[in-house]
Amino acid sequence: MRVVFAAIVVLLGLTLRAGAFEVGIIGFQFSSETHARVANAAAAAAKAKGWGVTLLNSEGSLPKHAEQFDALIAKKVDAIIIAMGKPVEADAQFKAAKDAGIPVITVQSGASPYALFDIESNEYKVGADGALFLLSQMGFHGDILEERFELNVASRIRGKMLDAVLSENQGVHVLGKHAMARTQSWPDDVRSGMQALLLQNQGKIGGIWASFDGQAFVIDDLLRAEGVKKGDIPLVSMDGGPESFRRIADPDSTLVATVSVPFEAMGEKAVQAVDGIVVHKQKVSSFTPGVYLFVDATLVDAANVRQFMR
Amino acid sequence: MMILERWGTVLAGLALIGFFMLFAGNFAAPANLLNILRDTSFLAILALGFALALTTGELDLSVAEVASLSAVVAGGCIQHGVHPALAALVALGTGTALGAFNGFGVTVLFVPSLIVTLGTAAIARGVTFMVTQGVAFVGRWPALFTGLARGVTIGVPNLVWFLGVISGLVYVLLKWTRTGAHMVATGEADEAARLAGIATARMKRLGLTLSGLLAGLTGLLLAANLSSASPNMAGDYFLYAIAAVLLGMTMIEPGRPNVVGTVFAAFVLKVLGNGLILLGTPYYVQDIMLGGIMIASVAFSSAVGQKVSFKV
Repeated sequence: MRVVFAAIVVLLGLTLRAGAFEVGIIGFQFSSETHARVANAAAAAAKAKGWGVTLLNSEGSLPKHAEQFDALIAKKVDAIIIAMGKPVEADAQFKAAKDAGIPVITVQSGASPYALFDIESNEYKVGADGALFLLSQMGFHGDILEERFELNVASRIRGKMLDAVLSENQGVHVLGKHAMARTQSWPDDVRSGMQALLLQNQGKIGGIWASFDGQAFVIDDLLRAEGVKKGDIPLVSMDGGPESFRRIADPDSTLVATVSVPFEAMGEKAVQAVDGIVVHKQKVSSFTPGVYLFVDATLVDAANVRQFMR
Repeated sequence: MMILERWGTVLAGLALIGFFMLFAGNFAAPANLLNILRDTSFLAILALGFALALTTGELDLSVAEVASLSAVVAGGCIQHGVHPALAALVALGTGTALGAFNGFGVTVLFVPSLIVTLGTAAIARGVTFMVTQGVAFVGRWPALFTGLARGVTIGVPNLVWFLGVISGLVYVLLKWTRTGAHMVATGEADEAARLAGIATARMKRLGLTLSGLLAGLTGLLLAANLSSASPNMAGDYFLYAIAAVLLGMTMIEPGRPNVVGTVFAAFVLKVLGNGLILLGTPYYVQDIMLGGIMIASVAFSSAVGQKVSFKV
């Protein structure tokens, strides 16, 4: 009974806490670290402004995503920020928000005629930067292994850019590739797939490309367990983040570079935009003239990693 | 005490609704209540399928994956210009066929339903990824198709019609037909029912096939509502469907899967999700509270002397 009473008090507290300005933030799938980084950064920035925040996780489920969107519209929040959303699939909800006069800003989601704009890193450039850096480490000659993830838009685009770069650099060949499945135990999938490729191609590997940093961490651990030293087999991936930077700076790690997408900055930018457009009535065009607000992703290697480490 | 046994969870659900009406702004707004009712339909239809299989004493753990595959099949058909009516039939056929396969596995191959439906779920998941390559079918689909879920008939959303009609049909089947009585008898005392001359294997096949059919319908409606179909799009419904059936078993007809209890429990689960969002609770609090309320509901029923049991 006491527990029930305490729960009611907490809920009432949350209700009464609802401030003047309320923003709803939806991350599509918090089990993906990048989604959580954007949404959490946006929530922190909004709270720092003293706003009420409803932070939601769609858990990768489209129906749940639509339901949460509907609930925020019913709640009549002042603005909605969506991290890695699905503007085409949730088209009806985006339109309903616009009809209800609720501005929506998306991050890494793609454009919607019903949202103000989408804050994006250019994944084509991210993919090209990562691929070219790996090839440059190999002197544009040798054989590589690939760890792919074809079921995610960003990592798929990065893979396509690797293909484009390879097609223009015929001195580098693909020894083998493994595409991980979309399962909750993906690290095991990456470990077993890459372990087989490493055994199969011992002594012939000139470099390894991974479609995102989480895969690279697993591969790095495998290579280190086999006694591979930094630079012997350059390992490159994309995303960025504290663990990536730590490994790049670590002389025992084989990870030599990542392309750092500023996920936290994107979340903060979304809050700045809401603050400017909704609170201070600035024009949308003062933030971006089009439907995208591009942010720069930076290639991070040994030369500049220190400036990214806290 | 008898009233609490049968209606305790209902009263707890109504108290929850009352709480949100008082403290969650805009909860009682007609548009919000309609949203909840529409969202309930997917979950309740899927849960009713699970309840039908459970009524015959079998677990169908493939419902969510079968629904996802049916959605993808419907989406693929629409994307390739197939007439919406045919696409809908193919989706329903897919669900029914997989349900029938589960029934075949249980009654002919004598594989426990727990195993065969897990296998079917894995096959369905693999096929959805094979068909889609992980990329969702998305587009501006014909209104004839999306209208299945987004449309309104005689002032009532089609999803609510679907929920009402399916609930009514399942209720009539279980309560007013001989087949329904045989299904219940099969689930409650398999061997005794068989000795009494009931074709228990046929009843189990029927329960699992209907479960597949309703999973197919859920997938079809999900695809129509979102104008898209992606792998695992119904995955989130799996635990909620089971929760709805189990919660439903703590009310109206304690200890037995029942239509009214299942639909009401699905509604309460959706009310909980919606109400907590309106209260501004963080997403992780919602998961924690959902689990807590499920355990508390069953504990409440047990506390008044009710024994909830089902056969695996």
